[in-house]
Amino acid sequence: MAIVLFLSVFLIAACGLIYELIAGTLASYLLGDSVLQFSTVIGSYLFAMGIGSWLSRFIDRALVARFITIELLVGLLGGFSSTLLFLGFAYTQAFRFLLYVLVVIIGILVGLEIPLLMRILRERFQFKELVANVLTFDYLGALGASLLFPLVLVPKLGLVRGAILFGLINAAVALWSTWLFKEHLPTPGIQRAGCAIVVLALCIGLAFGNVITDTADSALYSDEVIFAKSTPYQRMVLTKWKQDYRLYLNSHLQFSSRDEYRYHEALVHPGLASIASPKRALVLGGGDGLAVREMLRYASLESITLVDLDPEMTRQFSTHPLLVELNSGSLKNPKVHVINADAFPWLEKNDGVYDFVVVDFPDPNNYSLGKLYTTAFYRLLRHHVAQNGVAVVQSTSPMFARQSFWCINETMKQAGFKTYPYHVYVPSFGEWGYVLGAVEEWRQPAQVPPGLKFLTATNVHELFDFPPDLAPVPAEPNRLSDQTLVRYYEREWREIVR
Amino acid sequence: MSRPSRRQFASAALLGLAPKSEPRIAGGFVFEGPDQGLDQGHRIRDKARFATPRRRERIPVVIAGGGVAGLSAAWRLDKRGFRDFVVLEMEAQAGGNARSGQNEITAYPWAAHYLPVPDKHEALVRELCEELGLLQDGVWNERWLCHSPQERLFLHGRWQEGVEPAIGLTRKDTAQFRQFEERIQELRATAAFRIPMEEGLAKATPAVRALDTITMGDWMDREALISPYLRWFVDYSTRDDYGTHVSDISAWAGLHYFASREPEDKGPLTWPEGNGWIVKKLLVKLGRYMRTKSMIYQVRREGQRWLVFTENTIYEADAVIFAAPTWLASWIVDPAPPRWPIVTAPWITANLTLHRWPENKGLEYAWDNVIYNSTSLGYVVATHQNVAMYQPQTVWTWYMALADGSGADQRRLLLGGDWNYWKERILADLEKAHPDIRQCVDRIDIFRIGHAMPRPLPGAIFNPERIHRTKHTGTLVYANCDLSSLSLFEEAQYRGVSAADHILKVVSRSGA
Repeated sequence: MAIVLFLSVFLIAACGLIYELIAGTLASYLLGDSVLQFSTVIGSYLFAMGIGSWLSRFIDRALVARFITIELLVGLLGGFSSTLLFLGFAYTQAFRFLLYVLVVIIGILVGLEIPLLMRILRERFQFKELVANVLTFDYLGALGASLLFPLVLVPKLGLVRGAILFGLINAAVALWSTWLFKEHLPTPGIQRAGCAIVVLALCIGLAFGNVITDTADSALYSDEVIFAKSTPYQRMVLTKWKQDYRLYLNSHLQFSSRDEYRYHEALVHPGLASIASPKRALVLGGGDGLAVREMLRYASLESITLVDLDPEMTRQFSTHPLLVELNSGSLKNPKVHVINADAFPWLEKNDGVYDFVVVDFPDPNNYSLGKLYTTAFYRLLRHHVAQNGVAVVQSTSPMFARQSFWCINETMKQAGFKTYPYHVYVPSFGEWGYVLGAVEEWRQPAQVPPGLKFLTATNVHELFDFPPDLAPVPAEPNRLSDQTLVRYYEREWREIVR
Repeated sequence: MSRPSRRQFASAALLGLAPKSEPRIAGGFVFEGPDQGLDQGHRIRDKARFATPRRRERIPVVIAGGGVAGLSAAWRLDKRGFRDFVVLEMEAQAGGNARSGQNEITAYPWAAHYLPVPDKHEALVRELCEELGLLQDGVWNERWLCHSPQERLFLHGRWQEGVEPAIGLTRKDTAQFRQFEERIQELRATAAFRIPMEEGLAKATPAVRALDTITMGDWMDREALISPYLRWFVDYSTRDDYGTHVSDISAWAGLHYFASREPEDKGPLTWPEGNGWIVKKLLVKLGRYMRTKSMIYQVRREGQRWLVFTENTIYEADAVIFAAPTWLASWIVDPAPPRWPIVTAPWITANLTLHRWPENKGLEYAWDNVIYNSTSLGYVVATHQNVAMYQPQTVWTWYMALADGSGADQRRLLLGGDWNYWKERILADLEKAHPDIRQCVDRIDIFRIGHAMPRPLPGAIFNPERIHRTKHTGTLVYANCDLSSLSLFEEAQYRGVSAADHILKVVSRSGA
């Protein structure tokens, strides 16, 4: 019997902590600044529990009935707390107000639970035993909840249904108490009816939780992770936020599906459209197949070789339905040959010559990546570019890393390319830069393929114009033996990102 | 280490504290065994009897020793169109101190691992570099210049950029480094310190000559250069190049290290297999002259000719270029020249095969990674010149000159310790900077080099016997870099080439 009583303590303690965690998590998701949100939510919640404990002194009669009422209220409010908060965020301006009102009310109710329960149990146990056991199970419940929440509740159930489930547990404790303490209840039927109503409401919520979750999550829940994979080479994370898919490699944003067309159209078309009937193309990096998608607009291209280090990356972008939709199945096109290899040694070992080469590597934020931006690399690259061909290099942001951008330009020049730097605005990246390198004099294309979302025959010329705040600055070329670029890059991004 | 019981293991695993049972590390000593250099050489010392060979071969020129000096002599002879010679090498692999190894991860050096970018005076080295494609139209080939980041130093518990100590220095220390640099600039301006060293000797004033009568330590005391950081830095440098402490090395040699070079480009030139890369390239051309596993146990005068005895063949030669260590001549050549007065330094190097890189916080791995106040010289990353982005495994070459006390004592220590002893010393040294090194290493292969290089102690440079041997006369000439007392690629090449030039004159005279 005793163990059943203390199990109730364990359960209500767990529920109490869950609601607190839900409020903190939601506030962090929706408002950002998780340290502030968690601190203020926990603070208010504990303070409200204190109020609840203090208020318990004013309850003198019908303790069990009151306890059951409080349990049902906690179950109802706590259970629907995340639903209420989601909807409140979506449809009102008063999210913060709603958040703290809910936190305080639930806190007060939870604060009432334990003192009341201790008074109910007073007659059954010795005081020292009672205090010890109640508090032990209270803290155990807290431990259980805090482990369950991040490991099971959030990933498996989501916040909406998770909260409702714990609401049901409160209701279950209430229902169960009508039997446990039935000698204290003059009319247990009333309480049981109340329990039934609350359980019914919560069950309906749980059944329609999917709908709520879907509408609320897709509308509001910050960046759902669609998949996360650690390969020997990198950590890949694909997130979805509304209809925006974002790929992160080692937590650096690679693209956002909402505006990647700007980045990839600008990466491919100025160079490729300038070449009369290009036949062979090479992509270094770019395992997402998005540059290849743009290249496949050119019917004259006979083969596209894509060299990307990570087999998992090209596999995902060849098979995952969402990702294949993004790149229009480009990697499965019979013209496309995917090779998983390290780009620099691959170029050293192979001697193919290409009309068009895309170099789309991650930014040079360390010395191993920096090797792919050196005079040695570009000299090697030049041997793989046809006489009237061009190579285009993603060259970080001329806005945020201005000297780095012009350093890449200078490095390509030193390696014997005639360079034509340009830039484009990609909302999710900011102002972004490319350097086009040609073996001979190069002319901007007169046309671009039809059906592009961003580039036109007119605006393609504007890309090559640099306003004063992006204008060239002096920079030393980046050499294997003296990697200036990594130092520029590190300094410039450190100045931007605190 | 005893095996933990299953219960211990299970309980520890539960706590996430699984005992870090040391993984088995394989390895052994390389270039050792009954038919290899170390034991073979000592047979000569111990005056063992050698079987008289049955074969006799007439060959105009024999080059004794297939290290960089011998190869450079061969390079010169071949380039001048002289092809009637052989290079006799005791070991199975040519290259001497520039030998290298190779495993499934990378090639790696066994000793000499870089070549400083030569300055404009170094005509011979430049000629070779042009031939090997390292210097094209006055531009150094970036592929083989040491990639960034070049060097780092583990000092006060963290890595700093460069080997010159920079963190934790007082203003006084910094001033001492500046003062030292000023002294070096003055000495550089005298043009008495050149590479090859012979070319500067003519400019040596009495004051410069006097530097060879004191130690570098004495000189630093005299200049009041007492900063411990500076002393460490200079000591590291003299151990690194000459296997000799600052307190032992001739001040002339120590200062030559700093004052002789004015490189044109940030270097040095380096390759996965170190100077083994140059050796491999030279052997493509010169391999046909090379006879490995040919230990010479005697070189005897017979009439106008020299009889060169190996265990298989007696070579009858008109001339001999003795490119093996010069001190060996006193044991081999008959009539024996005076005992060579220069002492040699023992070294130990090890190649560590790592299946993963140790955790690394702060600065990225550099090519040369040095630990402050260690008895070792740190380690060089053999895969550093690899341009691949993804390199999960690597090989490190760890270096230590046994520079304390006398060479003979240190050689006893070198040969006295078994592989386990040296393995533990190497790991203990690396653990200072890489606590998880034992979890990363699969193999440790160790090379014990009893007589690795000459020690330029005071008096070595202006020693009359040394100077005498550098003057080529007759039909047996010396060519080892120990003629310079400085174990440098450039010196070996210079000595080899000038010996070859002398022999070309001799042979053409006798031929005509």
